[in-house]
Amino acid sequence: MGLLLLMILLAVAQIFLRNFFGTGIVWADVLVRILVLWVGLVGAMAAGRKGDHIKIDLISKYLKSKLSWIVAAITDFFTTVVCAVVLFYSIKFIRFEYIDGTVAFGRIPVWFCQAIIPFSFLVMSLRYFVRTILNLKAYFNQKE
Amino acid sequence: MMSFLVSFILIVLAFLGAPLFAIILAVAMIGFYIQGVDLSVIPIEIYRISDTSVLVALPLFTFAGYLLAESRTSDRVVRLSRVFLGWMPGGLAIVSFISCALFTAFTGASGITIVALGALLYPALIQDGYPENFSIGLVTTSGSLGLLFAPSLPLILYGIIAQQMTVGEGVSIEKLFLAGLLPGLLMIFILSIWSLWVNRRMPVQKKRFEIREAFSALKEAKWEIPLPVFVLGGVYGGFFAISEAAAVTALYVLVVEVLIYREISIKKLPEIMIESMVMVGGILLILGVSLASTNYLIDAEVPTRLFTFIQAHVTEKIVFLILLNILLLMLGAILDIFSALVIMVPLLLPVAVSYDINPIHLGIIFLANMQIGYFTPPVGMNLFIASYRFKKSIISLYRSTIPFMLLLLIAVLIITYWPGLSLMFVD
Repeated sequence: MGLLLLMILLAVAQIFLRNFFGTGIVWADVLVRILVLWVGLVGAMAAGRKGDHIKIDLISKYLKSKLSWIVAAITDFFTTVVCAVVLFYSIKFIRFEYIDGTVAFGRIPVWFCQAIIPFSFLVMSLRYFVRTILNLKAYFNQKE
Repeated sequence: MMSFLVSFILIVLAFLGAPLFAIILAVAMIGFYIQGVDLSVIPIEIYRISDTSVLVALPLFTFAGYLLAESRTSDRVVRLSRVFLGWMPGGLAIVSFISCALFTAFTGASGITIVALGALLYPALIQDGYPENFSIGLVTTSGSLGLLFAPSLPLILYGIIAQQMTVGEGVSIEKLFLAGLLPGLLMIFILSIWSLWVNRRMPVQKKRFEIREAFSALKEAKWEIPLPVFVLGGVYGGFFAISEAAAVTALYVLVVEVLIYREISIKKLPEIMIESMVMVGGILLILGVSLASTNYLIDAEVPTRLFTFIQAHVTEKIVFLILLNILLLMLGAILDIFSALVIMVPLLLPVAVSYDINPIHLGIIFLANMQIGYFTPPVGMNLFIASYRFKKSIISLYRSTIPFMLLLLIAVLIITYWPGLSLMFVD
């Protein structure tokens, strides 16, 4: 639902953008660009929910169910780890920005705009972790 | 040795179906780690997504495309083009090519064209007496036909990626749109001529042009007709920047489909928004992480080394182009178009430029090859979509699309070896 809100914001921002050549709201341009980042990463989180991320669907389609679970568990766990590493370093990065206290526009500091990066990677990491567990469970249940 | 092992593992993981963004991230992480660079560069690079103002076009055009695909725009496009082109010999085939190209340019080649337009055109083609194999091949092929026309998303994405690199700074999206125009028309032209030739003995009952039907079709589509006119006119005429065109399009389509045609209920709107944003999220994420990996590749001088390596084996520009075509056709069959762009353009562009290939021309070559990849056996995505939609076996689809594929291959060769065709309108 947050996504929806963002989109509405974006739609409003468009109208700002259209009036842009007339009035020229300096921060609207910055806001729109940051919204693109937010919408993108929120969309990425949503894609993570269904495991809908862009991937090569060459082999997994032809695997037998038992093997496919174990393969999915491996790739999901790999994704979990990668996301966790990004999470760790983006928190580090944002802490620097927080101390710096640079302002993006108006009173909104840069670190706040960037906060979506660790947040989305946290969510994706958790999601892929859960998927790993579920796939393993499916695999072991099948075995018995 | 170590690095070979790591690359091997990553490639295996990619083929086993790990999300590509994670693979790209892993490449960047391992690379930066070996170089001793603090991995905080990765979030910094991802944040660079908000540095590019053209990128706004991506979610906005995607959203507009999803709205168009959900409403009955496809009916109106087909009806309209049938009225105005249906009286010609082979009219319906040409109608199919043109309406599919237009629809794909606006909705992105995500298979929507086959589902929405193919479902209308296929029965119509059969009814008009076209052979079944021909019709199904035509519909499958047309699913990716509009990639070279404004405002196609892959073209925009190519421009954005090229602009990130020193050699591609002059690549504006407006220029790409101009460059895609003639090559795209060439493809439609070749396919149309062939359709006329194949069906020359077919007793097609030519339809007369009817003024009344023309008026009623025009009236029905009166809210959508201005859309291609002002988007294409605005962009090709240089009145709009791409991001402005995208904002206007999204707002306009939203108002027209939801408030005027009322084909999309307000209740359904959030669902469409989420669907389109999932797609955008997938693309933006791989774009963001590839900014990081590209940065690493350039630091590690991979493009330069790649160039020296290729230069040692390939001296002729022509040979390089042939290899490029083969590589892209293969990639197009395995990777989806967005990941292919994000992964390959940063590597290929510097190499191609040193072979004296114009970056804009490279973009057109790239997409033209990828377009064929959509229905290249064994794994072209559109083959599966068409097989599912029309309940045909994949094997029979291979057979019916092959003539179309060969024809488009000829078009791709012309596009590749005749840069003037792409660069005619680009100063």
